[in-house]
Amino acid sequence: MPRMLKKASAEAVPRKPLKQRIIKDIRKNYLLYLLLIPGIITLVLFKLGPLGGMVIAFEDFSAFQGVFGSKWVGLENFKRILQDPYMITLVKNTVILAVLSIVVVFPIPVLFSLFLNEVRQARIKNSVQTLSFLPYFISSAVMVSILYTLVSPSYGLINNIIKFFGGTPIYFMAEPEWFRPLYIILQIWQTFGYSSIIYLAGITSIDQTLYEAAEVDGANRWQKMFKITLPQISSSIVVMLIISIGNIFSVDLDRILLMYNPSVYETADVIQSYVYRIGFESTGFPDYSYGTAVNILKSIIAFVLVIIANKLAAKYSETRLF
Amino acid sequence: MKKRWLSMAAVLTAAGILLAGCGTSGGTSTTAAQGQGGEAQESGTGETQAAEGTKTYTMFMRGTFIDWIGELKWYDEAEKRTGVHVEYVKGPNDQEDAYAEVDQRLISGTLPDAAMCRQAQANVYGSQGAFRDLAPLIEEYAPNIQAYLDENPDYAALVTNDDGTIYGLLNETPKLADFVFYRADHFRKAGVDPSQIKTVDDFTQAMKTLKEYYGKDNPNYYPLCGRDTFFRYAAWFDCANNISAEESNGIYYNAAKDGMDIYADNFYHMMEVLKGWYDDGLVNPEWVAGSYSEGDWEAAMLNGDCSIGYDFMTRPQWFLDNGGPDIDPDYEIAVLDNIEDENGNIKKYQVDFPYNEQRATVINAATDDETAQTIIQFIDYFWGEEGQTLCSWGVEGESYQVVDGKKEFIVDYSTEESKPAGEKKWSFLNDRYTVCKPVDDEAFYAWNGDVVKDAAARLFDEDHLMDAYNIKYTEDQLEELSTLTATLNEQVKSNLTGFVTGRTELNEANWQAFLDDMDSKGYSRVEEIQLEAFRSTYDE
Repeated sequence: MPRMLKKASAEAVPRKPLKQRIIKDIRKNYLLYLLLIPGIITLVLFKLGPLGGMVIAFEDFSAFQGVFGSKWVGLENFKRILQDPYMITLVKNTVILAVLSIVVVFPIPVLFSLFLNEVRQARIKNSVQTLSFLPYFISSAVMVSILYTLVSPSYGLINNIIKFFGGTPIYFMAEPEWFRPLYIILQIWQTFGYSSIIYLAGITSIDQTLYEAAEVDGANRWQKMFKITLPQISSSIVVMLIISIGNIFSVDLDRILLMYNPSVYETADVIQSYVYRIGFESTGFPDYSYGTAVNILKSIIAFVLVIIANKLAAKYSETRLF
Repeated sequence: MKKRWLSMAAVLTAAGILLAGCGTSGGTSTTAAQGQGGEAQESGTGETQAAEGTKTYTMFMRGTFIDWIGELKWYDEAEKRTGVHVEYVKGPNDQEDAYAEVDQRLISGTLPDAAMCRQAQANVYGSQGAFRDLAPLIEEYAPNIQAYLDENPDYAALVTNDDGTIYGLLNETPKLADFVFYRADHFRKAGVDPSQIKTVDDFTQAMKTLKEYYGKDNPNYYPLCGRDTFFRYAAWFDCANNISAEESNGIYYNAAKDGMDIYADNFYHMMEVLKGWYDDGLVNPEWVAGSYSEGDWEAAMLNGDCSIGYDFMTRPQWFLDNGGPDIDPDYEIAVLDNIEDENGNIKKYQVDFPYNEQRATVINAATDDETAQTIIQFIDYFWGEEGQTLCSWGVEGESYQVVDGKKEFIVDYSTEESKPAGEKKWSFLNDRYTVCKPVDDEAFYAWNGDVVKDAAARLFDEDHLMDAYNIKYTEDQLEELSTLTATLNEQVKSNLTGFVTGRTELNEANWQAFLDDMDSKGYSRVEEIQLEAFRSTYDE
């Protein structure tokens, strides 16, 4: 009955007011609080403060007149978004790409870390981990260049193999249906090693006596992997999944801009590339307000999805982000 | 206790260091620009100190242009003669990034005395008070610019606002079009006579002959290849975009040279021809698809995987100067005459806008009167006879001479242009931006390799080139056009590509569905806005 004991104890010794407790805590740990100040200031200046800039979505923003001097247009930009006939295609392309990222990309680092954990040779394990981590540091431009070289229909390795077996070369970079698989393959290649670190860290903190007990009970490797390791890192997996859902509308714009061409627009054109064209590639006057309005809508939907995912996680796995 | 204080001091120091880079201060002046913004100052001439008595001002520009200016001998001479030294503030090399930085500098109050930006930015921000009205400055201190405005009412209408203000000055662009150029040695070996290529059918037949000859041993050979868009043959089929006081056809906004009118009567026929080229392997499929890089194209033209290109006028010479003859001693490039119709009428090719609206020169409103006067007088120098001669021909006796009253270069184009980057040279490629000024077309054409020079003399006249018109749009029109074309440009390219590659079957029903779809996405509205703006710009 721990909760009852706690209540009785609280009744016996009346607690001091909150203000006094805070002051006492600050006096006691003032050095820690001082260390916290730069972080708090940075957070406010560079993360929370700029959020105020989103107000330009309700303005006809001019860089010269600034946030406070630009003309207020209310929901005009949001109306334009909803009236834009192309928006449906853009949202569809963005969501498909994002869902594929979650369904296909998300499980790979989990599986990779589970299997890597089973490697007994520490040297091999470390080498594989390092190698898998390396692509994370390669820029999107280099990644896409490598891809172009690999899949070129005239001299690419992939098409040479296809031709060797009597097949017809495939114009991978010019086929709309190949855009999404190639995008996902690049994402897996670039991020799976980095993402697996979180799961590997979780695995190393699992109590070894659980494995010993399982061995005594005659569990084999597969059983230990799926009955002990996986459940033990499930909270990390759920948290990472919720974060991924929060990024559902966030695609790698650099990669898309480098990969897209007139042949693949129908699958490659996403919200971000459209906003980029209007905001930054515009040959007329840059429409920052419209671009910001699109991003606000995107963020609101993503936020709602995160709340739902968080609730579902709390209900079904007893783990949640907040 | 001492230890505690030391700890506190250490923490506060760390916080101070972290936040040290957060502050900015306003103020927009020469000194502000020199000390802020995190950008290195670069002198166009490579000198960091101006000579005593020299007037100076600062100017923000695309990095690439500053690098070019730093190599030009005539520019150094101009600074010497005018006694003005410009401290250039280097922006990003990419055009879009550079103009985004103009916005950022306006927000942070770090715009130098002058800047290069889009005309749309000049007019919008100018009317809000960011830039000086140049009209009174021109009237008082710039007689050459004033004379040009008086003699060129179209230009005056383009840069002058309804209330008479001028916020951005535009530079002239040379009258030029793309050339259809070919490997003359390939043609000879394959038995193709270029003088017999008159019509589109002749052109197609020539490509078939080439394919037969070179393609039999080389699976990667395609007679026609290029970079950027494949759809640049609209003028051959009378499908080019066009505008007048009566009608506006096709997307003309920011697309004079490559624009098309997809509703033109002959457009469907053009698509059938282009698809025929694709299906017969006459055109590089990767280029059509849009996945062919500039490097791929250059390699194909140099290595013999391709015989014909259709690109910027200086490109034929580029291949001769960049390894063509080293790879193949027979390497020879020539420029094809304009295509004709069945009745022998020459098809006029599209040209760029006469004034480049992506390169407006503005003066910061915060600049003091004296500096503003220096800026406008320095620019004005290049609009006068002496300045025009200097930037178009250089210095007499050094870069040109006068024979029978006619100027001719005495420095060699290939020698000068092949000098390594950063080295001083005579160069008169005035399609590049240096200073806001008019362009002497004759000098520009003359400053080229023989292939380009001869072709320009032959083909750049009113019998071979269309006219192009700059159009002034209102802020609302620009906003609407930007949004509409952000969708339409990609949609048109994507659909046309699909028809040629076979992703969408080219038949009447699908074509009509495509046209209807474009119309529903605002194609007609774009034409409507353009017509309205054209009439307003030219008072018709």
